Amino acid sequence: MIRRWLPPAILGLVLLAIVYHVTMVQAPRILMLAAEHRIASHGGWNTLTAQPLATSDSRAIVRPSPDLAYSSCPFDLSKGPVLIDVAAVPAPYWSLSVFDARTDTVFVRNNLQAGNNPIRIALIGKGGGQAPPGYEPVPVKGSRGIALLRILVDDRSHFPDIDAARQSSACKALGS
Amino acid sequence: MVEDAATVAPPPPPAGRFRLPALKPWARWLLCGFVGIVLGFAWALHTVRAGAIAASDTIGPWTTGKDFGTADASGRTRAVVALRGMLALPASEARYYNAAVDDAGQPLDGHCRYRISGGPLPGHWWSLTLYDTQGYLVKNDPGIYAISSAALRPDEQVRWNVVVAPTQQPGNWLPTGHGDRVQLTLRVYLPADGGTGNLARTQLPAITREACA
Repeated sequence: MIRRWLPPAILGLVLLAIVYHVTMVQAPRILMLAAEHRIASHGGWNTLTAQPLATSDSRAIVRPSPDLAYSSCPFDLSKGPVLIDVAAVPAPYWSLSVFDARTDTVFVRNNLQAGNNPIRIALIGKGGGQAPPGYEPVPVKGSRGIALLRILVDDRSHFPDIDAARQSSACKALGS
Repeated sequence: MVEDAATVAPPPPPAGRFRLPALKPWARWLLCGFVGIVLGFAWALHTVRAGAIAASDTIGPWTTGKDFGTADASGRTRAVVALRGMLALPASEARYYNAAVDDAGQPLDGHCRYRISGGPLPGHWWSLTLYDTQGYLVKNDPGIYAISSAALRPDEQVRWNVVVAPTQQPGNWLPTGHGDRVQLTLRVYLPADGGTGNLARTQLPAITREACA
């Protein structure tokens, strides 16, 4: 009797291991895709959307930092490069980070590293293309991801000034 | 007369002995394959849901890790971070320390009062934030969700205290609202060592339970 069940049981164990591995590998992509669509539903693709300071009602991402003002750009590089211009902000800390579809960080730079100067990058992915003059090329695996601008709001009374300054930053598809 | 073997019923198993059901071969393969797929998915789901962000190293009540946000992250780490702390910065930019228990190892309870006490942390700035078990900011009437180093007075920078409690407290207060279980996240931005090492137990804040309602 056991001998008749042994081969199917081995198949079951092999399938268990495969499904576990595939789920682990695909989970970040699926969750990232859901986050991209959730953010894009507010501001659209290849657009930098400034979000209000996080509160207990915020559900866009888990573990948001209430000290940081976030601006996010869900990007799609399937038709060519996307350009990101970050203007200097009057805050003690700000940074631009870019995450690919697997949630890997492909670019990160803060205001200290940038000497408090603007940051200009061109994201180049599956759709190819070249960075225009003045833009640093940043290769991205695949075609989608999220660029995130974080700005420290050390005092909430400073937020209106910071909010006004960050409106100068932009995310747009090359040629649009 | 010889009896046909196929018509002879097998002897019943001894009482209490497990007997595998007699199924046709295709049904055995189908059943085992289906069970394998379901269990594999359930196991992965449980692993991710039970996992905590930045939990590879434990230092007192704090857990941390530094391989997320990078291509070196394991599949499990990547999946847990995607669920619990998507878009987390790499260790060179920020280190995350989480606590779901106090110094005595008891779960942080929103009905209790805790004193978080610490000193200077080696980084550009830091913040201490209270979350619910889902990773969202804790709802509270004054709308206070975090205390950062930038908000401390100069005389507090050397030795600081934050009180986590449901009712208003003098000094630096992090309200627990009406939540049951809560968690703390300490973020240290631009760590002095570039994020290569963990803070020592003596550098990390102590979490002391003072009273419970």
